[in-house]
Amino acid sequence: MSEHAKLVIPSDPAKLVDVDAFAEHWIGDMPFTDDQRDDIAISLSEAVNNAIQHGNANDARKRVTVVLRRFEDGLRIEVTDEGNGFDPDAVADPTDPENLLSESGRGLLIIRHLMDEVHVRPADGGTRVELIKRYHD
Amino acid sequence: MKLRSERHGEVAVMELRGKVMGGPDSTVFRDELKKQLDDGIKKVVIDLGRVDWMNSSGLGILIGGLTTVKNAGGEMKLARTTDKIKSLLMITKLVQVFDTFDSVEGAIASFSE
Ligand SMILES: Nc1ncnc2c1ncn2[C@@H]1O[C@H](COP(=O)(O)OP(=O)(O)O)[C@@H](O)[C@H]1O
Ligand SMILES: [Mg+2]
Repeated sequence: MSEHAKLVIPSDPAKLVDVDAFAEHWIGDMPFTDDQRDDIAISLSEAVNNAIQHGNANDARKRVTVVLRRFEDGLRIEVTDEGNGFDPDAVADPTDPENLLSESGRGLLIIRHLMDEVHVRPADGGTRVELIKRYHD
Repeated sequence: MKLRSERHGEVAVMELRGKVMGGPDSTVFRDELKKQLDDGIKKVVIDLGRVDWMNSSGLGILIGGLTTVKNAGGEMKLARTTDKIKSLLMITKLVQVFDTFDSVEGAIASFSE
């Protein structure tokens, strides 16, 4: 079975650096290019930011769970929050001229470009966002 | 993220370094930019040459900066945008919003009188 690692954090944006260091270290020996490593780090930071801000509404008592799994073709990331979920297809298009100067709203768009697969699923007591990055497209 | 500011005549050059990922980063940036504007600075260059990567929070920080500087009657330019940041600006269509330059000198020279 695939190897995995898990990190649980409170909903505190200051913990983002810890999540980044944890993932960077754990995927260190996986054969990704430097560019792919950046794609993964950026996308993970987006998913964790969303879990903290939107899923858990910045409630520090609620936790975010990050699981990393290696499989034959690459990496699967699971970010689970304690929120009610959302429909990723219903999110406003940040490239719409009227949204272009907004300071937010670009995270999912960026994740979709940088990762090979993105899924949003209900999880027990919350929502799980799954991100997959393969060594080869 | 780390942030360092320098003056080149009447231009403030703010250099971002490391990973711009949100959390405390935006407060750090906003406070420093406010300090520069309070000092009467109207021309701001954001030097991105040493940024490892940035996410959508980083882009939001830059948009917020641009709006703040414009509202103060000033101008803000981006310098030394890395390939990764360039691709994020393309994906998000923010290329239409920012003036970007390959060098800090080029950005400084581009300001109108
Ligand atoms: N984990 C989540 N739980 C609930 N809603 C979410 C979650 N992630 C994203 N969203 C919703 O999707 C929207 C778009 O997310 P995103 O593209 O990252 O932009 P931003 O986070 O800047 O608003 C959010 O504003 C939010 O409404
Ligand atoms: Mg987001």
